[in-house]
Amino acid sequence: MTGAGFQLIYAKPGRGVTWALSWLLFAAGVIGYLAISTARHRDNPEERVTPTVWQMVDGMSHAIMSPAEDSEPLPDGATWSQRLTHSMLWTDTKATGLRFIYSMALLLPAVMLGLHMGVFPYVGAFFLRFVLFFDKIVALSLLPILFIAFGIDELSKVMLIVIGVAPTVILDTFNLARGVPNEQVVKAFTLGAGDFDVTYRVVLKQIWPRVLNSIRLNLKAVMLFLFAGEMIASTDGLAYRIALLRRHMGMDVIIPYVLWVALLLFLVDFGMRVLNQKLHPWFEA
Amino acid sequence: MPLIEIENVHLAYSSLPVLSGVQLAIGEGEFVCLLGETGCGKSSLLRLLLGAERPSSGKVLIAGEARPRPDRARGYVPQKYSLFPDKTVLDNITFGAEVSEFSFFGRITPRFRERRIQLREEALEYIRRIGLRQEDSAKYPHQLSGGMQQRVAIAQALMTNPRILLMDEAFSALDPATRREMQRLLRDLWSATGTTIIFVTHNTQEALSMGTRIVVLAKEPPHLGSRVMLDLPVPEPCAEEEIPRLVRKVESASQRGKLAAIPA
Repeated sequence: MTGAGFQLIYAKPGRGVTWALSWLLFAAGVIGYLAISTARHRDNPEERVTPTVWQMVDGMSHAIMSPAEDSEPLPDGATWSQRLTHSMLWTDTKATGLRFIYSMALLLPAVMLGLHMGVFPYVGAFFLRFVLFFDKIVALSLLPILFIAFGIDELSKVMLIVIGVAPTVILDTFNLARGVPNEQVVKAFTLGAGDFDVTYRVVLKQIWPRVLNSIRLNLKAVMLFLFAGEMIASTDGLAYRIALLRRHMGMDVIIPYVLWVALLLFLVDFGMRVLNQKLHPWFEA
Repeated sequence: MPLIEIENVHLAYSSLPVLSGVQLAIGEGEFVCLLGETGCGKSSLLRLLLGAERPSSGKVLIAGEARPRPDRARGYVPQKYSLFPDKTVLDNITFGAEVSEFSFFGRITPRFRERRIQLREEALEYIRRIGLRQEDSAKYPHQLSGGMQQRVAIAQALMTNPRILLMDEAFSALDPATRREMQRLLRDLWSATGTTIIFVTHNTQEALSMGTRIVVLAKEPPHLGSRVMLDLPVPEPCAEEEIPRLVRKVESASQRGKLAAIPA
């Protein structure tokens, strides 16, 4: 060994070791949970805080195959597909998914606003101070106002998400647009481009993959506001279900629901990443 | 009438003078190298010519008109960020012709598609002329070396047939061998197209090996902005043995401001 002390920074773990290490915490979590759950069930067979795997499987197969208790029961002899599409999991996921899609669609105008603020000095001068101010408002503190102003239906929940996330997206896009080197803009003008071409074909096109990445980073915030809205005022949706089941200590469904939400969010994020790479082969980062 | 007239131009950034009374007239077809030390305002002068900046006082006239915004009258090749990173080599070269001939919405018409085919052929011709292979046309700028990128940038600028080509330290980031190649290429393109070129550089050798005329900017006295210290036609062709003498002459001119600062 040369030099003093360890040289662990230069360590080069093999592929197998890296793989094994990366799964270690998952394994520890699962094993730890099983151990605690088994022990607690041995002491008290009625235990509800740490359901066994079989209880969770049972709870979830119920959630997947039959409607929720608070919705209409299915007629006898319903087909499989009917059972699936009226199941608790499906209706909850659909309700949350729709709100998620609306919110994402409403982030598009936010991107456009940020772009124009970054490219056109007058638009920037008009909006920037106000957006900076708005960005500092704690969106959740607006929730009561939203409920009073828009009622407790869909609109107020979607507005909560938009108000919570849009300023960040606007400012991110604004900074990205401002960050495009001036040479690019001057070059485009000397090649005969107009304002439209510079805005959309030069600036927007080159910041778009970064904008998508910024939206990806904000997915967590979108979900946070969505769940807050659903937990407080909703009659369907994944968060509504989790909040409702809390009252009956329905951990056998809550835990799988939490994992299901995490999986969905992971898939959306992963999908956007792959899409970004496929659509923008020139973008390296 | 000269193509470019710079009449008693002053430029200051928040009362810090950069240019003080620059006077210059450049004729059609000249290859002018603007020389000077770092911070002497040669890039600022180029930006004035480009229309990206306006003089504090004085006039910059292109073909007798003030053109206070960057437009098609002048092509531009900067040192960095000279290509659009999201477009292939071919699309970078055709970009100028596309946007200047068609409006944003005009690009959905069938006429555009026909014209695009012609433009692509022209662009491929340029790609060949600047020494790239045909298969490079589908590459993105980040896949090209620095020298290749600048070649494409020159082709991109020449594609719209500008009367003036403004180049800002365009070869300064390249290694010496590539640099010499690029100088030859630019000189060849200049004689073939007859475009007026204004080339900003801090390298005297580079200026002497390409330009037909060398303009040196320097500050004198140092608390004022720069003005033209030396305006030298380069003998054509420039004999090898002449070069050291010219280098000394040019460099002493750009040093003059500094020397004046030293108390006698």
